[in-house]
Amino acid sequence: MSIASIPAQDIDRPVPPYSHNPSAWSQRIPICLLAFVAAAISSHLALYQWGFIENAWDPVFGGASNRVLKSDTAMSMYRILGIHDAALGVLAYLGDAILGFAGSPRRWQYRPWLVILFGIDVIPLGIVSVVLVVLQAFVVGDWCFLCLVTAGISLILVYWAWDEVRVSLTYLWIVWKRNHSKRMLWDAFWGNRNDELDRSAEELLSREVS
Amino acid sequence: MWGRVVEIMTAVWLAASPFVFSSQSDPAILWGDLLIALLICILSGLSYWPPTRHAHLLILLVAIGLIAWGRFAVLPPPPEHQNHIVVGLFLLMIALIPNHASQPPRVWQTTAN
Repeated sequence: MSIASIPAQDIDRPVPPYSHNPSAWSQRIPICLLAFVAAAISSHLALYQWGFIENAWDPVFGGASNRVLKSDTAMSMYRILGIHDAALGVLAYLGDAILGFAGSPRRWQYRPWLVILFGIDVIPLGIVSVVLVVLQAFVVGDWCFLCLVTAGISLILVYWAWDEVRVSLTYLWIVWKRNHSKRMLWDAFWGNRNDELDRSAEELLSREVS
Repeated sequence: MWGRVVEIMTAVWLAASPFVFSSQSDPAILWGDLLIALLICILSGLSYWPPTRHAHLLILLVAIGLIAWGRFAVLPPPPEHQNHIVVGLFLLMIALIPNHASQPPRVWQTTAN
C-alpha cells in the first residue's frame, strides 16, 4: 500500500476497537477542561497552604480540610519537595491539560511519545495521587473535601484518557510484531515517517470494530 | 506556536518575579532571573526561525537548572526559590510542546512520498 492511499487530511478516522477516534478534539477537549478545573481547585488548596487565604473551602468536613492541608504529613511532603503538595498538584493537572491539548487528531500515530507522556501523567500519576489522598485520610485521620473532589476528577481523567493511550500502544505493538525491529519501533515512537509505519497504522485502522 | 507564546509569557513572569517577591536587592536573584528570562525568550524566539526550530528543547535544560537552583540554593527554599521550582516544572512541560502542535508533524503533511 502506498502512502498516497492514506491522505494526510484524512486524520480523523475512527480507530478500532473503537468506533470513534480517541485523538479527536471532541475526545480531548473535555479532558483539558476537566484538568483545568482540577488545577483551579488545587490552586485554591495551594493558596491556603502558602498562607494567602485563611481557610480552605469545605462545606462537608468543616475545619478538617485545614487540618489535612497543614498536617505533619503535608509538611513533611513540603520539606521533601520544597513546594507544597497542592502546588505540585496544580502543575500535574496543568500538565494533563497541556499534554492533552497538544497534537493533531491523529497524534496516536504521528506523536506516540506525546500520547504516552500524557498517559503517564494522567494514568499512573493520577492513580498514585488518588491512593495518597485516600491514605491521607487514614494517616491524618481527617478528610478534605476538595482533595477528594480532585481525586474523583483524577479517576474520570484516567477513564477518559485510557482509549487514546491504548490505541497508541496497540499501534506500537503492531509495528513491533510486524518488524521485530527496535529501529522501526524507535521511528514509530518519535513519529518519523516511512511506508512500513503507514502499513502498520493501516492494519490497525482496518481491524474490526468491537 | 502556542507553546512558544506561553514560554515567553512565563519568561516575563520570571523577569518580574524578583520585584513581586521583594528580592530585587539580592543581585544573584535579580540578575539570575533576568538573564534566565532573556535566555528563555531567545530560545523561544529562535524556534520561530526554521533552521533553529528545535531551539525550544534547550529550554528543558534551563528548566532543570531552575528547579535545581530553586530546590538547593537555600534550604528550606524561600518564596523566590519556590517560584523557581514551580516555573521550572511548568517550563519542563511547555518546552516539550511541538511548534505547530495542532498540525501533524511536517513529515506527515504530504500525501506523496
